[in-house]
Amino acid sequence: MPSYNKITPAIAERLRACVSPGRFFLGEEVDPNYAHDEMPIYGKFMPEAAVDVETTEEVSAVMKICAENKIPVTCRGAGTGLVGGCVPLQGGLVLCTRRMDKILEYDMDNLTVRVQPGVLLKDLAADALTHGLMYPPDPGEKTATVGGNISTNAGGMRAVKYGVTRDYVLALTVVLADGRIVELGKSVCKTSSGYSLLHLMVGSEGTLGIITEMTMKLIPNPICDVSCLVPFRDVESCIHFVPKIKMANLDPQSIEFMDADIVTSSAAFTGNPIFPETVNNTEVGASVLVTFVGADADELDQKMVKLGQIADEAGALDVLVVATTSNKKAAWSARSSFLTAIEADTKLIDEMDVVVPVDKIPAFLIYIRSLGEQNGIRIRNFGHAGDGNLHIYCCSNDLEEDEFKRRVKIIMDAAYTKCAELEGQVSGEHSIGHAKMVYLRESVGEDVFALMGEIKKVFDPDFILNPGKVCDMEGLPC
Amino acid sequence: MLNILVCVKQIPDVDLVKMDPETGNLVRAGVPTLTNPLDLNALEAAVRVKERFGGKITLITMGPPAAEETLRECLAVGGDEAVLITGRPFGGADTLSTSYTIVKAAEALGAFDLIFAGKETLDGATGQMASQLAERFDASQISCCFTIEDIADGKIRATRTLETGRETVEATLPCLITVEKDNFYGRLPNLKAYLEAKTAPITTFTENNLPGLDMQKIGVPGSGTIVPKIYPPELPEPGQMIRTGSVKTDVNRLVELLAEREAI
Repeated sequence: MPSYNKITPAIAERLRACVSPGRFFLGEEVDPNYAHDEMPIYGKFMPEAAVDVETTEEVSAVMKICAENKIPVTCRGAGTGLVGGCVPLQGGLVLCTRRMDKILEYDMDNLTVRVQPGVLLKDLAADALTHGLMYPPDPGEKTATVGGNISTNAGGMRAVKYGVTRDYVLALTVVLADGRIVELGKSVCKTSSGYSLLHLMVGSEGTLGIITEMTMKLIPNPICDVSCLVPFRDVESCIHFVPKIKMANLDPQSIEFMDADIVTSSAAFTGNPIFPETVNNTEVGASVLVTFVGADADELDQKMVKLGQIADEAGALDVLVVATTSNKKAAWSARSSFLTAIEADTKLIDEMDVVVPVDKIPAFLIYIRSLGEQNGIRIRNFGHAGDGNLHIYCCSNDLEEDEFKRRVKIIMDAAYTKCAELEGQVSGEHSIGHAKMVYLRESVGEDVFALMGEIKKVFDPDFILNPGKVCDMEGLPC
Repeated sequence: MLNILVCVKQIPDVDLVKMDPETGNLVRAGVPTLTNPLDLNALEAAVRVKERFGGKITLITMGPPAAEETLRECLAVGGDEAVLITGRPFGGADTLSTSYTIVKAAEALGAFDLIFAGKETLDGATGQMASQLAERFDASQISCCFTIEDIADGKIRATRTLETGRETVEATLPCLITVEKDNFYGRLPNLKAYLEAKTAPITTFTENNLPGLDMQKIGVPGSGTIVPKIYPPELPEPGQMIRTGSVKTDVNRLVELLAEREAI
């Protein structure tokens, strides 16, 4: 295990001098929220110090001091992660990019935008719209930073049509572990120019470098959109409908899956039952919310008519249209509230965001539900049906924490084994952090896991960047 | 079969309307429109009555030609027929002339057993229309309706929400009803109804084909109120966020600021 040093008063003073007054915090001055992300079940770990950085040069200066003194550095954005990714397991310094929140420059000829990592996803999306542009990645957590989204390669609801965050990162400014500043990628449409360190950096969770500026690709904002809610009696028929949408060449922007339980929780939480629990006097077991974008209303109507035909053939209870501004607001605010709704009525919560081939979703959901029943754990799930990415939450209001963890471990162990059997991956978009590292190792195998470790060593020979994450087993707390 | 009238209005998205600081006028150009949400609650109540007791729902609105969009939205979720009252002379109407115009149009359509209306619109927010309509229709009125219990023998029994609880009341038909939104969330249209509504016929009344219209009682001449000026309320001094990341530093700064203002 790498040996780390403590932040001595002398080191603290050097770090303090890297930034203007009021942006370096030591000991009790550090925000206690820096000890956890949004999944506190994975433990709380306070750093010794924290620094709010504002420029690439400040990050470089901080990293030089930390490298020289073997101080662990954990980069943090808005702290909205779900796998303990920004939690400082080995103490040391939390480097917070939240103040690097400037949208620097649009290039309207090449449809790109240069931003700092602390810009919030919702702010970038809204600002791009004022330029007639869309930032396509659309993760549910809109208050995450774009830097965090890159670090986790966040996906979101529009991934079916547009892909994930990685597909929109053109160039990055990165501060390496020793403080050197490098530029990765360019604002070009294609490249065949050696190993793509740019793409290695995307999804690396702050373990290979600190991203301090990025150039993101944008697209013209679609002229109009409409969504259809397609309810079914049960989960199986609902999921079997998904490939049919794709095969019908309808090119949906998103296909979101929701079962009856999550719809009930969301309606109770938001107070607006926009998604019906019964349709034509039949109880809804699960629904998909399908969104189309297009150039005009006629194009969307044609797509909906075709969707209606295949929905009818697939045994859907109906096809409901979400077309008005009010209904769109209500539907998407309900959809975006799913996780918050679960959190609001749950004391203990753990999650997984596996991704499986789309046709394997029913098998996986049926299995996970039976695991929940066998172990006395309430299962809530929703997800991106169009790409096979499922968000599954283990919940309890009655169990003691230790007992909850014990039972959830049984479920998780079995579920990840099942996921592997179904040719799935450990995480679709939430990443590995420290919570899923064991499962990543099992999933990819020893050779690949060791290769990841070797890559880590090249970028960060002293393992000071975000210890204990992704593939750094030795950095886990004892 | 019950003959049901539902009054609806297209409004600008009030979250997006801005005020011209020079003229005091509301800047509505380019602002998306929507159907007044409380009208959709009223429509949902009407649709439930139709489903349970049978009936026909006629939608009525007054507004520019684009208000047709609102009628089509409402046709898709249960309306059977739609009526648009449109024309320049109707412009600038307050609630007095609007209620007169709506009732004149309704009289041309026949007699209604039930009239549903939103309790107010989000843009005007006078809350006067429903009561004025009840008066002009010579109808009884049930406001704050929570549930409709029964409709039989020319009477309606409904439960109202009060500040102190609920009361069940009975009224004779015709009756005008405004509802509590929490119990009447609107439904999503199904695809078939949504597409049919796009091409459904809409009856249009103008100042030229509305029978018995007194031109002095519509639009600006018929309005009892004048709006000489619209201005935004004076806003208090904007607050200052103290967020350094450290609770201790934040509290110290707060204490300093309070001391500077001699508040402590």
